Amino acid sequence: MDVSQYLDIFIDETNGHIQELSDNIMLLEKEPENKDCVNEIFRAAHSLKGMAGTMGFKKMQHLTHDMENVFSEVRNDNIKVNSTLIDILFQCLDAIEAYLETVKATSGEGDEANEHLIKMLNEFLEGGDSSGDSAPAEAAASEDSAEAESAGEGYEYENLKLEEEEIEKLKEIESSGGKMYGFTVHIQKDCMLKAARAFLVYKAVEDFGEIIIYNPSSEDIEDEKFDLTFNIIVVTESELQPILDAISAVSEIEKIDAGEVTSATYTKPAEEAEEKKEAEETAAPAPAAKPAEEKKETPAPAKAPAAKGGAKNAPANKPVTARTVRVDIEKLDALMNQVSELIIAKNSLVSISDQDTRSDENQQTFHEQIEYLERITTTLHESVMKVRMVPIENTVAKFPRMIRDLSRKLNKPMELYMTGEDTELDRTVVDQIGDPLQHLLRNSADHGIEDPETRRAAGKPETGSITLNAFQEGNNVIIEVKDDGAGLDIEKIRGKAVERGLVTEEQAENLSKKEVIDFLFNPGFSMAKKVTDISGRGVGLDVVKSNIESLGGDVEVKSVFGQGTTFVVRLPLTLAIIQALMVEVRDEKYAIALGSIQNIENIPVSEIKYVQAEEVIHLRGMVIPLIRLDELLDSTPKEEEPESLTVVVVKKGDSYAGVVVDNLIGQQEIVIKSLGKCIDNNKIINGATILGDGEVALIIDVNAIF
Amino acid sequence: MTDEYGLEVVEKEKVQYIVVSIGNEQYGLDISYVDNIVRMCKITRVPKAPFHYIGIINLRGEVVPLMSLRRKMKLDDDEFTDLSRIIILKTEEMGLIGVVVDEVKEVIALSEDEIDENAKTQSPEKDNFISGIGKNEGELISILEISSIFDEVDNA
Repeated sequence: MDVSQYLDIFIDETNGHIQELSDNIMLLEKEPENKDCVNEIFRAAHSLKGMAGTMGFKKMQHLTHDMENVFSEVRNDNIKVNSTLIDILFQCLDAIEAYLETVKATSGEGDEANEHLIKMLNEFLEGGDSSGDSAPAEAAASEDSAEAESAGEGYEYENLKLEEEEIEKLKEIESSGGKMYGFTVHIQKDCMLKAARAFLVYKAVEDFGEIIIYNPSSEDIEDEKFDLTFNIIVVTESELQPILDAISAVSEIEKIDAGEVTSATYTKPAEEAEEKKEAEETAAPAPAAKPAEEKKETPAPAKAPAAKGGAKNAPANKPVTARTVRVDIEKLDALMNQVSELIIAKNSLVSISDQDTRSDENQQTFHEQIEYLERITTTLHESVMKVRMVPIENTVAKFPRMIRDLSRKLNKPMELYMTGEDTELDRTVVDQIGDPLQHLLRNSADHGIEDPETRRAAGKPETGSITLNAFQEGNNVIIEVKDDGAGLDIEKIRGKAVERGLVTEEQAENLSKKEVIDFLFNPGFSMAKKVTDISGRGVGLDVVKSNIESLGGDVEVKSVFGQGTTFVVRLPLTLAIIQALMVEVRDEKYAIALGSIQNIENIPVSEIKYVQAEEVIHLRGMVIPLIRLDELLDSTPKEEEPESLTVVVVKKGDSYAGVVVDNLIGQQEIVIKSLGKCIDNNKIINGATILGDGEVALIIDVNAIF
Repeated sequence: MTDEYGLEVVEKEKVQYIVVSIGNEQYGLDISYVDNIVRMCKITRVPKAPFHYIGIINLRGEVVPLMSLRRKMKLDDDEFTDLSRIIILKTEEMGLIGVVVDEVKEVIALSEDEIDENAKTQSPEKDNFISGIGKNEGELISILEISSIFDEVDNA
């Protein structure tokens, strides 16, 4: 039987378990006495083992089995958690991940047996505890209860209700002198791939003889339309014991009832059995409705899948796992395009309605229709956007582990604090943000955080802290990577820039702090004194910057010397449709994303002040630089200055700017279109949109004008 | 290149060209690159774009950049008349790009031996875009090398 159809589920769930293991092992390192944590780990390792076994990945199963043994000892207080153990465990996790990668690539687990890890685990097990066989205790206990369940009723396989023809068949075989055995196989309650399990049993049995009776039928088994037991009757020439051994070799089988059967077994008790069967069916939770949903399940923590197998023992306080549907991104793109068209159609209707000269009544209904259409498109847009949005959680979840490893490698104690992991971003952005963030974190760990002696001397806590904050701001999502390390030495960077011949000494003198910091994003510019394998090769920040810019975002650096550095990554929330304010500069129309607009002011020309020869306005206690959009966009100069200016105040982070426009047109939902490769060398314009009258308007990237 | 190869094998096979006029000259555009020919429409200027890009247009809901062949070939700037057309070219690397021409004349078919590849024009800039000179009813037609028009975006 083929298990490849379960491969996707296996990969998904294994990913989930690995992440959970990683999280919990990290926690365990901090709180070695945390029993809940150990239990979680045990469960996750157990599920991993089970799944690997199901799929026939023997080496992976072996490794997880040994890990499970260790956890079991920890759980029973026979072994104390220490950093050696944690290190071994992390190595094991890496090995499991490697298996998973191989599985993904080749559908097989590869040849790496990771014997050294298994050896380490076993040595640890022996060193920590000599008695060491508490693991089977639990299994034995559950066996007992199962035994009790079926005691006195006769085995299930003896009570099967068979069709006339089937009994005939049995009789035939009997008369030709064949031996028949009945089996009732009990699968463990928390088994996740029951059908696969059953097939493995079939496969094992088929080596010995022919299976003549399947109960439930093999179709039902395939659809997982069965509870925790299934029965088979086998014709074979072999003895019972080897078959039993073969079945027992399949993992997650709780127990097997077996015995020789004859046609007579089924002729007599048929009616009795029927009643019993019915009673059993009503008692069992209906598993038939589940399989369909189960397939869609994404990597879920170990606790959730366990609940699926046996709903009976599900505690009430289980966290509800988010059910995500995997959708081909191409389909989503198609959907998105349709919505785009719908909006364009709507916009043209809107523009017709503006010029319509028909009777008032018609006008009214027409407007109602438009409003209706508008409502539909807006909701449709929202729901499609939501489908595309995923929390950054999956991407950032691996970082605590990474920082821990770095901390040990660099011999600098440090902690990673994360907030806002549930911040949602467009799927494509989330997929690509991992690498740049990883770069920034490594950068903070390597360059930012000082060694403990320096920190102590500076009066800081010895343990450095790195913070990753994600939050939404208008149409943007901000991800901050902050460290409380040494901060950037502006003068040193200035010197380095001169040394590298990027600027002359004179030029360097006049550069602002921000301009100096920008050198960090130059390709090949590294401040590290020595090249480590973590960073220092000067490949990094420039890649980070270009990666983030290709996603339509930008990076900013704030740093206080001696107090730390913050990298602010700003990403667009959506890539396709935004609410925008349409403005006019001369006779050209431009769109400004509504999310970045703070307010709109009418400023008399007389109120314009000058600071360092730059135009500024003074607004409610803030001094805001004025940006003449017409100059920025090379528009034809205006003949005479009007008495007052329309100023759109835009915001980027903590800074504001006043954008001077000629006219305001109004708010509109716009579809962002790319300008195409050939004129894309333009920072101020980040796209175009098609207006209701078919005209093309350009979208101003407010973040680029600061 | 396979086209040329094909032409060598089957001598009589001809390539179709759209003949357009720009200024006083006639140019031929390989029809396999032509997606569409549209009338002049509202062009949106793109600030800071390379000089030879006039702007962008709306082609049935798609934003398509528009190039001026006159600017590219350092001729006088375009004057749009009723005869002016935009030829939408389809390239693999750049997607759709529109070029403005003064007039679309006709479609002709030329075989390889009707195109003189050695003919040289005086201006070195123009050389880059022309793969040969074709003859049609006594008129000379410069065959434009489509890929080279877009290759040298940075040069101009």
